[in-house]
Amino acid sequence: MGWTPKPSRSSPRVFNQKFPTAWPWGIFSVLVQLPGFLRYKNPVIEVVGLSKVFSDKKSGPKKAVDGVSFTARPGEIFGLLGANGAGKTTTLRLLATILTPSSGTARIDGFDIVKDSQKVRERLGYLTGSAGVYERLTARQVLHYFGELYGMDLAQRTRRIAELTETLELSEFLDRRCDKLSTGQKQRVSIARSVLHDPPVLFFDEPTAGLDVMAARTVVRFIKSCREMGKTVLFSTHIMSEVEALCDRIAVIHDGRVFADGTLQELRAQTGVQAFETVFLRLIGVNE
Amino acid sequence: MSNSGRWRTVFRKEFSEVWRERRSLFQLVLMPLLITPLLLAGVGKMTRSRIDDARKESVTLGIVGAKNSRLVEELIAGQNAAQTRVSFRPVGTRAEAEAAIQKRDLRAALVVPADAETAVEESRPIDLILLSDQGSDESQNAADSARKLFDKFTTVVVTRRMQAADLPMQTAEPLRLVEKSVAGGGGAGMMMLTTLLPYILSLSAILGGVGVAFDAVAGEKERGTLETLLVSPVARRELVLGKFLTVSAIALVNSVFSVVGMLWPFYVKLPMFAWMAAGGLKLSGGAIAALFFVQMPVALLGAGLLLTISTLSRNQKEAQGYLAPLMLVMSVASMMTVLLKTESPLWWALVPVTNSGLVLKQALSGIVNPTFVAVACGASLLYAALAIFYARTVFEKESVLLKA
Repeated sequence: MGWTPKPSRSSPRVFNQKFPTAWPWGIFSVLVQLPGFLRYKNPVIEVVGLSKVFSDKKSGPKKAVDGVSFTARPGEIFGLLGANGAGKTTTLRLLATILTPSSGTARIDGFDIVKDSQKVRERLGYLTGSAGVYERLTARQVLHYFGELYGMDLAQRTRRIAELTETLELSEFLDRRCDKLSTGQKQRVSIARSVLHDPPVLFFDEPTAGLDVMAARTVVRFIKSCREMGKTVLFSTHIMSEVEALCDRIAVIHDGRVFADGTLQELRAQTGVQAFETVFLRLIGVNE
Repeated sequence: MSNSGRWRTVFRKEFSEVWRERRSLFQLVLMPLLITPLLLAGVGKMTRSRIDDARKESVTLGIVGAKNSRLVEELIAGQNAAQTRVSFRPVGTRAEAEAAIQKRDLRAALVVPADAETAVEESRPIDLILLSDQGSDESQNAADSARKLFDKFTTVVVTRRMQAADLPMQTAEPLRLVEKSVAGGGGAGMMMLTTLLPYILSLSAILGGVGVAFDAVAGEKERGTLETLLVSPVARRELVLGKFLTVSAIALVNSVFSVVGMLWPFYVKLPMFAWMAAGGLKLSGGAIAALFFVQMPVALLGAGLLLTISTLSRNQKEAQGYLAPLMLVMSVASMMTVLLKTESPLWWALVPVTNSGLVLKQALSGIVNPTFVAVACGASLLYAALAIFYARTVFEKESVLLKA
């Protein structure tokens, strides 16, 4: 039986920012949040001419990402579509501040990825298909550990874990060691881990890779629910069906460069074909 | 929680996670606490019984030229009549004796020159030749018996000459050595501790953290959990600090259990440890403090090196490959403490691992050399700081960290 995530009641927030709600702080809180509200009208992810060059002793310097630019807004799922080795993961790693760009800039929720890397990471949820969990810990312990790393106190962690247990239906295995969990259950724990601090921005790097149909469906449904929650989602994949099912806008990436970006309709109109696989191939210059 | 205190979270999680594995309990607690002392007791018992067997074993010594000397004939007859474990067999020539030793028919042989009897009478020195196989323990034991016979032979000759010169017998024996053992000075066990403990502790301070260190970075790369840590707001220096402290702490725990494992047989009266505990244990408070104190910089140095290896490796298997050369170097450095004199020159205090082992050896022998201890600890801390710095530098390298 498939699992359907329930939308969270909470609005996007970062746990390190606490706004008091009691009078007179309630009014103050609204005033403080107002600029943030206005900000969400604007792109939350802004990438301008981002490049990354890896130096290799044998083959010389290799440009993995070459002048990539795009923007993504709240409540939008932005897809990065490309073949393996196209530069999707490197782009996500640059934006997640795991790697440092060789040139170009990017801002996540208003923070520069180089100058304010820690602030960026606080606002970010990151999930990859290859992400593992700590096998010797229980699911609850994994969540508490990451909650602590994200600066959440015990009360915040306990409340948020309870919320996610309900939303992601974790109760059955929350206190079981992760090495005893099925692949799908582990992936649900990973999802919970990535959204535990309720970040406004979520990165998914081929999140369904290696998952069976049921587990992959869980992930896809969760990503959809993130849009409903007003999150800004950056979704990297090479699977056309997932792009068609999920993405509001797409950037087609190949050899580290963005060849085209727009909505599905815009890209179909641009190439004059309907089948999205053919759209992709035409955009990267492959004519069948 | 402040941003700068997240290393504590990393440390707490990593340290507690280690104890969730049965393998860790076996390697870190059971091995040093039980298996090592039991193995030592077994090896010690075997060695002791071998020595006892050798003592009880009857030894046949060859004597070349016995017929040329009435004196030697008398001596042999006396020895054989006394029915000791050493008996003598006359052999015709030196070549025959050598062939018999090579064939293991004889263990050793004494060659008495043809003019021995005349030399005794003329008060000339007599050259006896002892033949033995240097590569055989049994032959060397027999040679020892021959040496004792040589001493007896010397006494007999001297006595004869004294009588001939009409001198009192006391002239031949100007000094007497009276041996007395001192109670509580330590016996075979104490000797074993002084020799082996520095070696075992130096190794355990470094190798105790291997599993944890390899799991901490290479293992996280393998499982895909490292990337999730890198996107958390924890600074990399805090991650590396938390992991480094975990490895150091585990290595120290392993060292403490190794010390306890080596000491408890002295206090628990079990028959298997009787040979070890026979002479008692004379260990001052300072020596026990030194045991634990000097382990710290070695454990820190080991943690830095192991974390560096772990970070440079794609997975734990690759890390194991890099471990082999480090193991070799560390084993040699530890082994040096067994080979070196307790009071070695000061420059040995600069040699990592060996220096800590020597401080331990000195402490166990009741020697306190503040200069040596200070230089050894200072040098070890410096090497540890360099190792930590290098581990952190490697951990900051994105090309190394994301290698998979």
